[in-house]
Amino acid sequence: MDYVRSIFECLASICSCWNCTDDLSSQGIEPSERTHLLADSVNQSPALRRSNSADLSNDYSQSLPKKDDQNALSRLVQNTAINMINVGALESHTLEHQEYTDRIKLYSQRLQQQWNNIQHPGVVLKGLLKDVPNQSYLSKCINPDDTAQMKMFIHKSQSAVLGIQIDHRDAVVVPFHIPSHIHKYNY
Amino acid sequence: MSDDIKKYFNGLLHKVSGLYVIQITDRDGVPLLRVSHNQEKNVDFALMPSFIPTFTTACDQASKLGLGRNKTIISMYSNYQVVQMNKLPLILTFVGAEDCNTGHILALEHQVDGYLEDIKLAVTEP
Repeated sequence: MDYVRSIFECLASICSCWNCTDDLSSQGIEPSERTHLLADSVNQSPALRRSNSADLSNDYSQSLPKKDDQNALSRLVQNTAINMINVGALESHTLEHQEYTDRIKLYSQRLQQQWNNIQHPGVVLKGLLKDVPNQSYLSKCINPDDTAQMKMFIHKSQSAVLGIQIDHRDAVVVPFHIPSHIHKYNY
Repeated sequence: MSDDIKKYFNGLLHKVSGLYVIQITDRDGVPLLRVSHNQEKNVDFALMPSFIPTFTTACDQASKLGLGRNKTIISMYSNYQVVQMNKLPLILTFVGAEDCNTGHILALEHQVDGYLEDIKLAVTEP
């Protein structure tokens, strides 16, 4: 029996290690709905309030002697809370007015600082076809043969246009021969 | 806020006929940038502080239904359409007329992306 229990404990510790790596990857570089924004607003963010039950379980587990089993259990509870579809969480998503205005001020200050140091892409892009999303082909060099061919075509077409001559044979202004009986019908 | 970026976003706004508002917020709905048409209609419902976090939560909860994580939600109403893009930690919101070309709105994403990387720095910890 002790042998089975030791195997179970070993498995539990391995699972907790896997959960550790999962948490690290989920809280890493890739931002999600639960990643922290600014430090001063961490506790006020509604997106984070959703995991209150998980926080409670963590607090509860910290008050007890730390064991691998309890850590694994608390992580299980946390993961379940994260993976559970909770439509009720949609209701409590309003920031306090003070927090809202504070954050607007903070963001505008930080943006003001940043824009002074940033090279704006809108200023750099100039010229024709600047709206084209994929501009890689625009930067490629044109084959000289193609350029020469285009120049030749343009030259020939221009000389052809210049060579057009009008040979007047008839009168330039042609009177319309409107039959007189149409006037009779209309009026 | 620099005038250049406002001009740039205003230019984007006028490129799409029938587009009323472009707004960049954090995921809790706190605005960082907003440009709108002079003849803006009453589209405040789509820019309310409660509307945008709902999108964040809806994306989060919908991803658990088995469809995977989505990037954009397009909501069509009788008089308006709202296109919301998930650019966490930012949310990009477009509000346009109901007959506005949605494909044109979606195509603006590539032109905004360059700026979003910079704006994200203001929201997250350095």
